[in-house]
Amino acid sequence: MAPSQKPVLEMRDAAKAFGGVQALKGAELTLYPGEIHALLGENGAGKSTLLKALAGVHKIDSGSITLNGKTFEQGSTRAARDQGIAVIYQEPSLFPDLTLAENVFVGRQLEKAGVVDWKSMEQQAKSLFDQLGVKLDPSIRARGLSIADQQIVEIAKALSIQATVIVMDEPTAALSSKEVDRLFKVARSLEAQGCAVVFVSHRLDEVFALCSRITIMRDGATVGTDLAKDLNEAKVIKLMVGREISELYPKLPAKIGDVVLSVDGLNLAGQFADISFEVRAGEILGLAGLVGSGRSEVVRAVFGVDKYDKGSVSLNGKKLRNGNAAANMNAGLALVPEDRRQQGLFMPTSIAKNSAVTMLKKLAKLFIVRAKSEAELAAEWGKVLQLKYADIQDPVDRLSGGNQQKVVLAKWLATEPKLLIVDEPTRGIDVGTKSEVHRLLSQKAQEGMAIIMVSSELPEVLGMADRVLVMREGRMVGEFDRKQATAEKVMAAATGVTK
Amino acid sequence: MTSLIQKALRIRELPIFLFLVVVALVTGFANPAFFTVAGLQDVLLGVSIVAVLAIAQTLVIVMKHIDLSVGSTIGFTAYVMGAAGSWGHSVWWGLAVSLGIGIAVGAINGFLVAYMKLPSLVVTLATLYLVKGIFNEIAGGDTITGDRVPEAVNAIGANYFFGVPYIYIIVFVLMLVVGFIMKRMRAARDLYAIGSNLSASELAGIPVARRVFLAFVATGAITGLAGVLLLARYNTADANSGVGIELYAIAACVIGGVAIAGGIGTVYGAMIGAVLLQTITSALGALGIPQFWQLAVNGTLLIAAISLDRYLSSRVKPTSIMGSHE
Amino acid sequence: MRKFNFAWEHGVAVFLVVAIALGSGLSEFFATTDNLSFIIQDVAEIAIIALAMTYLIIAGEIDLSVASTLNLASAAVGFSFRNGMPFEMAIVVGLLVGLACGLLNGYLVTVVGLPSLAVTIGTLALFRGFAWVLLGNEPVNELPENWIVLGYENIPNTFLPWSTIPVVILALLAWVILHYTRIGRWTYAIGINAEAAKFSGIPVARMKLALFGVTGLMSGVAGVVYTLRFASASPDGAVGYELDVIAAVLFGGVAIAGGLGTLWGVLAAVLSLGVIRSAMQLLDFTGNALLIVSGALLLISVVLPRAIELVKDRRKSVTV
Repeated sequence: MAPSQKPVLEMRDAAKAFGGVQALKGAELTLYPGEIHALLGENGAGKSTLLKALAGVHKIDSGSITLNGKTFEQGSTRAARDQGIAVIYQEPSLFPDLTLAENVFVGRQLEKAGVVDWKSMEQQAKSLFDQLGVKLDPSIRARGLSIADQQIVEIAKALSIQATVIVMDEPTAALSSKEVDRLFKVARSLEAQGCAVVFVSHRLDEVFALCSRITIMRDGATVGTDLAKDLNEAKVIKLMVGREISELYPKLPAKIGDVVLSVDGLNLAGQFADISFEVRAGEILGLAGLVGSGRSEVVRAVFGVDKYDKGSVSLNGKKLRNGNAAANMNAGLALVPEDRRQQGLFMPTSIAKNSAVTMLKKLAKLFIVRAKSEAELAAEWGKVLQLKYADIQDPVDRLSGGNQQKVVLAKWLATEPKLLIVDEPTRGIDVGTKSEVHRLLSQKAQEGMAIIMVSSELPEVLGMADRVLVMREGRMVGEFDRKQATAEKVMAAATGVTK
Repeated sequence: MTSLIQKALRIRELPIFLFLVVVALVTGFANPAFFTVAGLQDVLLGVSIVAVLAIAQTLVIVMKHIDLSVGSTIGFTAYVMGAAGSWGHSVWWGLAVSLGIGIAVGAINGFLVAYMKLPSLVVTLATLYLVKGIFNEIAGGDTITGDRVPEAVNAIGANYFFGVPYIYIIVFVLMLVVGFIMKRMRAARDLYAIGSNLSASELAGIPVARRVFLAFVATGAITGLAGVLLLARYNTADANSGVGIELYAIAACVIGGVAIAGGIGTVYGAMIGAVLLQTITSALGALGIPQFWQLAVNGTLLIAAISLDRYLSSRVKPTSIMGSHE
Repeated sequence: MRKFNFAWEHGVAVFLVVAIALGSGLSEFFATTDNLSFIIQDVAEIAIIALAMTYLIIAGEIDLSVASTLNLASAAVGFSFRNGMPFEMAIVVGLLVGLACGLLNGYLVTVVGLPSLAVTIGTLALFRGFAWVLLGNEPVNELPENWIVLGYENIPNTFLPWSTIPVVILALLAWVILHYTRIGRWTYAIGINAEAAKFSGIPVARMKLALFGVTGLMSGVAGVVYTLRFASASPDGAVGYELDVIAAVLFGGVAIAGGLGTLWGVLAAVLSLGVIRSAMQLLDFTGNALLIVSGALLLISVVLPRAIELVKDRRKSVTV
């Protein structure tokens, strides 16, 4: 990958906006054949938008992408594949009922004399797996395959179409350490065969162990590309975080009171183990960790959307029901979920009904719920949260991401919860609304509400939380006071790097 | 690679086949007449019609669709075949028109499902009505009796080849042909991909709409010809022919391992399912249980089959090179 | 100030009015009190089941076994009475059997986790099979006279049949609950997005179980009405009614994908069905024509909205 070599892919000054949010602005990426190239950045830095542009899911608004010396034809996943770009997602989507061999060749099954030639398909799949150094039986069905093995099948597919650029989007997030080692071997063999491999990960130790060059993004722009050997973890974190923390996060001083929630020895097989912690009135507890570390799973189980296997959760000393969100909601728990569109809102339904869905019991008079009272409730909260809308009866999918999040907050704040859990409360919303949300949370804590904030954005956690808990691979691995907590310490605990 | 035994154990249809063997043996013990040539011929004759519809239904169920309209189509074409002579037409005319009706119904279903993207359940429920209405309007109170059944058709139903009914041989050959196509033709493999993961199929560049359309047409075509077999088998047809038979065909598929959730199953399984249903019918008779129990037994079997399938697929453990974290 | 939005239901209402006008114009017997009584009797069972089916389809599920449940409930009434139970008790048994059928469907869907379509195709056969097992080949025809008059006589001093009473009471109840209570809001929420419903503290599984249970119970009520109307309980009654029910619900504007629809739209659709059937019978159409009409209604009610959607999409892409 000497600079004299010709790059296989060049992205120049790419920009892309969604609604009012500038996801990419000045994004640059240069890939050479036979290299493993890390793409780093915090959540929201623009990595996934960049990857989706390469995968043919999105078209960039301006800038250029050149692949093998030709202009890259954008906007079609099929075309992206045919031009030689293969994307391996964190959780691939295979055909569970087809064999591994057929999964590799689906849509272009090998034929002999006009009929599908199973034997040579299985042989070729086998030799691709062998080439990757992985023992997989090509004749078994894909259902029940581990995520690590599914990724291997996808990589084999990429090889079979002779991809020149193979993008791996956080492939290690859900893998065990042995599986990670195997994936590294595979990536190195791809490198040796002359592929350009893009590797996205939050685990810096992995990045330095595997990659030869690193590109770092922040706020939609590329802020640096360098050889891995010329960088170190501290430098990378500085480039990734890079901004003054305090200004965005107006944390108000709050009086910390009695214990509101106590979680004791919570276990859920395959998700998390031995989780114990407390949250006090007026306290904002930050729950940090990498994607896939089990943060969201813990808060889901606490709220009651999922059932846990062992342990207990109590609110103000009273035990909460396992796996019964309806009862826990009545007891005073609230969860603003991670996935706003899938879990937080009923997209085709009105702002009024979305805001009131948690309050129907209280709104009912003699069992009768009137649309007027729903609208009044929604309007009242809309005012408090400075919600921008044309008509309270408009469906929420007409609102911007930030305003949608305000509706979710409204529906939960309306219940006057004793404990509010927010999972990625500011993901994908604009900076202005972001600080409004932060101010609101801060204010609620000041009023005595206990808050758990799950976030992948370190500055947000550090700026807002009174105390930070860090999870890694399903376990609690660190606890920091507001004063002690620094980006470096939290990141180190989250990635398991001890330096 | 994998040993033969492992491969055999992986065959989805194996448990239900073994169950079939057990049922047959129990019935045979209880009533030796079951294992006579006449007893077996009864089963093969009885199974033919449901089996041919189950073969056709397999094409749509693997795509995660369903075709309820076959019950009306088969009755319609059975009647048309029988009435062809009295309308002054030849056997070939009857055959062609039967095929044409089947293809037309299939094309309507296919168009609405594939190109209008409507749910197949509702579409085929509607065409079940519509075809039945048109059929009964044409048939009125007319009954095709044995003397009106064309000689050639009658021969299919009445003759045996080394003891095996002609009609079953036809169905069996059809099964082999469709089975070969579904295993060996790319276009048919796409049906499995579509049923297994629709969005991934689109990403993989499979022409989903065209495949769905053609599969419905094929189902219709086979159903149209099945009407001729229905006439051959019973030597009679009227406005009530074929009523409710779609449920037996679906039951045969599901019992034979064609998953209602799509993506999986073979015509061989569908055949085993059909034979099992028929064997149980015979078994009820052989064991002296009133025929009234038959429908309840079929319903139970259908629910048991989907429950078992659900249970087995929930037990599939993720593969792993080293187990979980600990 | 709300804008008036022309919804599917308004179309159904217009259709109903046109059908009534046409019926009155074409047959002098149409707009008579006798015929009104006939129409209500004719659609009573379908209306009662359609009320519950509306909830179920809005919540994103379906029940194809309703006609078999109706028939099994009817068979249970006949069987209990034939074996010496007082008729009042036999009716209670029939209702309980309906409820049990619904709960079995609900259990298989919510607890075992099977798709409702497959489950209810299975129980469609199962419940009808039970009816055959219960009654064998002998329908129960000797029902107490004081009860069966309810099946064919009108409420004294009115031109309305007795079955009007359960239909009207249940329809009012269903309408209020669906549109003005928490249960109703939950039903829509589950149909629009079951996951978001779960995250909003809605007991999704319990609600679905209850909806299946109620659908079974309503089929049981319809079974009792049916038994009285025909003064008979037989193993082969009400074949194919599930198709009429589903056709009516979908024609009434309930989306098969769930989350959308109104109860008055469904009631207008049930009435339309009754009006067309009576008009066609008065005009000497055969039963086959009725089948074609039901099928066509069902098809129109899914094809038309989709066609409108496609046209809208095309227009959008032209202007943008």
